[in-house]
Order: sequence, then structure tokens, then C-alpha cells
Amino acid sequence: MSAVSRKIILIGLLLGFVIPSSYAMRMGEWGMVMNENKEKLPQGCINIAGEERIIIKAGREYAKKFPGTIFGYSQHEFSFPKCTRVHVTFINEDDIRHQFMIHGLPAYLHSQSMFHIELYGRGETSGVFITPNTEETYLAHCDVAQHMEKGMKAQILVGGGNGNLPSVPGISGQLIKDYYALDASIQNLALIAILFLIGFAASIFFFIWNKK
Amino acid sequence: MKKISVVGLLISAVTLSVIALFLYDPYLLYSRFFDYTGMPAYQAPPNAKPKPDMGEITVCAEQYPEWRKAYTIGGIDIQASDACNPDNPYEVAAFVRGTNNVIMPVLMRTQLSDDAVIKKDDLDGDGDPDNITIRVEVAELNGRSPDEAEFVPTYEIAPGIKPGAWVFAPKSRGMATVNREDLTANRLLRLPSAPIRVEQGDNITLILENTHYFPHTIHLHGVDHAFSNNDGVPQTSEKMTMPGEQHVYQLKPRHAGTMMYHCHVQVQAHMMMGLQGLFIVEENKPNNWVQTFNVGAGKVRVPSKGVLEDYAQEYDMHYQGIDTSLNNLIQTSNDPRQLAKKMHRIYDITDGSDDYFMLNGRSFPYTLRESLITVEPNQHTKLRLLNGTPDVIAFHPHGHKPTITAYDGVEVNPANRIQRDVFTLSSAQRIDLDLYTKDDGLNSYGEGVWLVHDHAERAITTNGINPGGNVSQIVYRKYLNKNAMAKVEGVSLMPYFTPEYYQGEVPSWTESDPYGYWADVAGRDVSTLKDVLLIIVLGMLFGVVLLLLKTLYACLQGLINKMTGEPS
Repeated sequence: MSAVSRKIILIGLLLGFVIPSSYAMRMGEWGMVMNENKEKLPQGCINIAGEERIIIKAGREYAKKFPGTIFGYSQHEFSFPKCTRVHVTFINEDDIRHQFMIHGLPAYLHSQSMFHIELYGRGETSGVFITPNTEETYLAHCDVAQHMEKGMKAQILVGGGNGNLPSVPGISGQLIKDYYALDASIQNLALIAILFLIGFAASIFFFIWNKK
Repeated sequence: MKKISVVGLLISAVTLSVIALFLYDPYLLYSRFFDYTGMPAYQAPPNAKPKPDMGEITVCAEQYPEWRKAYTIGGIDIQASDACNPDNPYEVAAFVRGTNNVIMPVLMRTQLSDDAVIKKDDLDGDGDPDNITIRVEVAELNGRSPDEAEFVPTYEIAPGIKPGAWVFAPKSRGMATVNREDLTANRLLRLPSAPIRVEQGDNITLILENTHYFPHTIHLHGVDHAFSNNDGVPQTSEKMTMPGEQHVYQLKPRHAGTMMYHCHVQVQAHMMMGLQGLFIVEENKPNNWVQTFNVGAGKVRVPSKGVLEDYAQEYDMHYQGIDTSLNNLIQTSNDPRQLAKKMHRIYDITDGSDDYFMLNGRSFPYTLRESLITVEPNQHTKLRLLNGTPDVIAFHPHGHKPTITAYDGVEVNPANRIQRDVFTLSSAQRIDLDLYTKDDGLNSYGEGVWLVHDHAERAITTNGINPGGNVSQIVYRKYLNKNAMAKVEGVSLMPYFTPEYYQGEVPSWTESDPYGYWADVAGRDVSTLKDVLLIIVLGMLFGVVLLLLKTLYACLQGLINKMTGEPS
């Protein structure tokens, strides 16, 4: 056996060790599905409580609805009951890479606590995961640099979730806020002046009336 | 009664003021009247501040030191590297063979997508593939996040310095950051835009996949290519590539040499943001598998057949500048509409000047981790230089006079090959140098650790703090220590590896100055009885002045009452 092939085998063994669920990985020139879970029950689940099917479309098209974004998903919030098997169909409508990556899932089911679908370009693929027995909101996003920040962010509410994540388009606000200047058009300023005067007059009136 | 109190108050104020003046600094008076009063007594100036605590300092943060040795992967001989942070040899192998020709375990040790570099079809039967497809993406570094104050994905050019930047990067897969907790950019996402190497005469399909939020293109500067839909200029040859779209550039370069590629949309901003890289056309030779990308530039671990005929090793050296008033704009808003206006209409490059100066995407001292030129005596090293700054650079190696072999990818007639110790490069200019380490007093002055830098003096600073900027070293290998750094005989380099040094909080010579001759001076504090008295007297003076003001107010009130005739 040559030194090279021995090295390659060694690397293969190492990789098998590093990625425990490497059998759950599919990869090719189209993209990859990583850490899929079709069968293993999360802790606390007695059985698979149900089946859900969702279709997530990703692309520039879905940014049109939300000013200040460039990329987006067809849907930015998903709700599932606990212990449910979810069949995800992921469709990429752009000619670049996009991902649908769920974080924070149980590490004993998903390496790096992550279920990951990625398409290297326009196309479609699918993957399966099982929701844990928790009431938690999970982050789903595209981690190509700046894609989440520019709109590719969704939340997955399992068992009703435990609140909203920040800056999900159409759902929640920014924690690090952008600054927008006042619209200085005549109409807007006039409206502000009128409303301000109404408030001012009301309080003056109240005081005069009170004194009498 | 009233009058007396006013006079009393005035006298108190004057007396207290004089006392305060004497307590504060009698020398103010003495220095004028020392003929009469005698010399002032000695008063020690304040002490030095204690030396700043710089915490744990890591000179070489080695993640994968094993990557430094020579490898043979997939039949490709990969040269050893002396860098503290060497290139990933598996990545190098995938670039040389093509991501379609390496086995899965090799690809899995990289973060490349399967279709990043496709090499097929030996059309001329000379032992190397001739149909090459290269995919590049556009990545933002140190951008803004609406969720956290930290910039994403994080990339440090020097300790604590994280300017915003955009780069062309080989198409990758997976996360842009190391993981969800560590927001550091993955190894493929870094400055400069990765140098691209192709072979003369190959059919190159270069695909720009615009993963960024602005339109971009690629202009193949100096590279032989057809015009139509292929020149990257929105005003002449093609539409811009919009976010989510791709553009296919076709070329079959007939001429070899060191060229460049850059974005040609709003060039004054996009090129300076970092969308510029080396594009090298290697001479056509048999069995010439070239290293398609050289991530991070620096040492080429698989030089082409043509280069190896004349040289033992080869280095890519890409010089760049950063004007923080442009680059850091991307950290001011998450709204692309605001950024588009700030970067292209409000930022004015004619008022701009560079603050940071980088060699291969880092400033000193991080250049020492990646961009040392390590040499043996009597060795020819090929240097390919690109000036990506908007100013002229004056490349100056200490201890050597290299020979110029090409300007802008065109060979210099051997009779005219001059030797210099300062080479000027205009913006976007490339030169090829032969660094010959023959100790003859001309080519080299002998073995040692020799600085190499741009001699335009602002470029040896990081926002004005020296040493910084694009300073690196030519190191003779016997001077290398096991930590992949040069054994230097001068001052300690430790302070330079701290963010505090580049924030100007560490005195320049702190490690060479045990007595604090040039330490920062502490402020004056309350340390003597005099100081205590002074503060008390000042308090009294403040009270007296308040009382005076009150009296003055009462007087004025009385005056007004008199004038209006109302009873007081």
C-alpha cells in the first residue's frame, strides 16, 4: 500500500470519527443534505406524533415584500407540534448558493446541533428531521455571508415555541437598529404640525377648563 | 448693612483667589519675579503611568502546524510552507486536480463546493486538462448584523482591526463562520480576493455567482479575452450581475503573465472594498496542472512547470489599502438602500486617504504569520507583485536588489532587466521579480532577517501607528524558529500582537524602557496638603461668588421695581 492511499484511508477514518452522523449526509454537484434524521426519536418522545410537509422557496424574489432586504424565503415562520417528522422540500430559485439550515437541535441527533440543506444553484431537494419534545423557537437561515442579515431568516416554533427571534422579516424587529431620518416633505411636516397643535390645544383647554 | 456685606464678599473673593493662585502654582508668579522672590522650590512632575497590561500574547496562533510540511495528495507534490498559518494542503490539492477529480475524503477536508473548480478534457494530449470551469462568489467580511454588535463574518487584518471588506472567493459550502458561536470567517473567506491561476491556451469558463447584495461584474484586467458580454464593464460590454444571478466569462488567453481581475461596477468603491485579485496566466507546458486558487495569496505551494524551470519557489504579493471612511460604511446600516447611497454617492474618494495598508490581506504583525518570504542562499524566488491601492507604492526589500523580469505580464528584454532596491508600482500595476539570494553584495548582502515593505512611509503604519502596514520579512531559513517566526535580534515584538498597541494605548518603546523614560505621564492628583487646601479654598471661592451673584440679582430686582414704581 502506498503512503498516499494509506493517508487517504486514515483521513477517511478520522472523518468518520469526527462526523458521527456522516451516514446521514448526501452530497454532490447539486449541493448537500447534512445531519438528516428520519427515524431516531428525540428524548421524551414516545412515538412519531405526526407527519408534516413543507415547501420552502429561497431567492431574491421573496425579498420584494420586505424593504431593505435582498434575499428571502417564501415563508419566514413555521409551526410544528412536538415529536413530529417534518419533510422539508427546499427549492432554490436563484443561480447562486442558498441554504436552509436549522440550528439548536439536539446534538445527539444532529452533529453540531444542525440540520442543513444546501443547493449550489437553481434546483430542488428534500430532507427530513424530527421535532424535539420541547417548546422552543429554532433559528433557520442561510449562512452564506450576509444572506441572513439581508432577509434569509426564518423561525421554527416547536410546541408553540418560546418567543420570537430578532429581525425575522415581517415578524420581529432589529436589536441593532438602523437609523432612518425624518421625511422632511411639506405634507409630512404639515401633518406633524397639525397633530402637535391638536395635542397642545387639548392640554391648554384642559387647564383653562379646570381653573374655571 | 447691605453695602458692607457686598464689600466684604468682594474682599473675600479677591483674597481667596490670591490664596488659590499661590496654592495652585506660585511659580506662575515666581517665574516673572524670581529676581525679587528667589528661585522656586523643586516640584516633581507627576509619575509615569504603570505599563499597560497586555494580557496573554500569542505570536503564532497555529491551528494546523502539520499543514506546513510537504505533502503528496492525489499525485500532486505540494511544497512545504514555513508560514505560521500555512494553506490547507487538501484545498491546494483540490485546486490543482479540480474539485471534480479529488476523492471525497480530500474534498471533505476543505470547505469547497463540489463544483468550485472543474477540470476536464486533455484536448491537446499534453497531460493536463484544457477545459477549466472556475466558480467565484462574492463575500462580505466584517459586515453589520441586525442581531448583534459584533461584525460578521469576523476577519482581523491586524490585532483588533476589523475593517469592512468584500472579496471574490472560491465557491464554498457550509457556513460562512466557523460555527454558530464563533463568528470568525471560515478560512476561504478572507482578504485578498484569491489569486486565480490558469494555463495559457486553456478554455476557461469563469463563473461569477453573485452571492452579495449589490450588483457586481468581473473585469479581466490585462488578460486576453473577447469583448462581447465578457469585459465586465457595465457601460460597454454587459449588464451587471445582480444578486442571485450568475455571469459566465469565456476566455482562452493566448499570452502568459501576471494580470489581475476586479469588479468594474462603481470601481472607485468596489475595487477599494477588496473586489480585486491577481489573475495569473501560466505558460503552456506539458503536464502543467496549475494551482487554480491561491487563497490568501503568499507562497504558491504548487508552482507551474514554467515557473519551476527557473525558480525554486514562488510568492504572490498583493498590496492593498483601506480607507475606513469607505470600508466601514457597511458597518453603519443593514439596509442596502442606505449603503448604496452612502458608498456610491456620499463617500467621495477625492477626499479619501488610506488608513490601513495590507500585504496579502493582513497588516504587520499578522503579515509575519502568513507572508514571510523564506529563502535559502543561492536560490531564485519568483515574486509576483500587484498594487491594489489607489496610490503609487515603492516596494523596498532590505538586503537585496531583485531583478525585474516582467511589467504588467509582459517580459522585459533580458538585456534591459534592471536591478533595484525600490520598485515603483502604479495603481493596478504588476511586476514580476527574481529575488536571487546569492551573497555577492548586489543580489544579496548575506543571510539574515530582512524587512520588505512599501517605502511610502504612511504604508508602514496602521492608521498612523508604527510598526504596522504592509511590513513583512525576507527570512533566511536558518533564522527561522520552530514557532514559524524569524529569530530577531532587535526589540520584542510582543506589544505589536495586542489590540491596545494599535489603539495607541501602549508607549512605542515600552519593552525597551524599564525605567519609563518614555512612558505615558500620569495626571496631577491630590497628593499634598497644599492640594487639599487648594480644593477647599476653591470651594469657598465658589460659595462667595454665588453669594455675590445673589446680591447682584437682588440689586437688579430693586432697580426694576423702582423704575416700574411697584412697592418692593
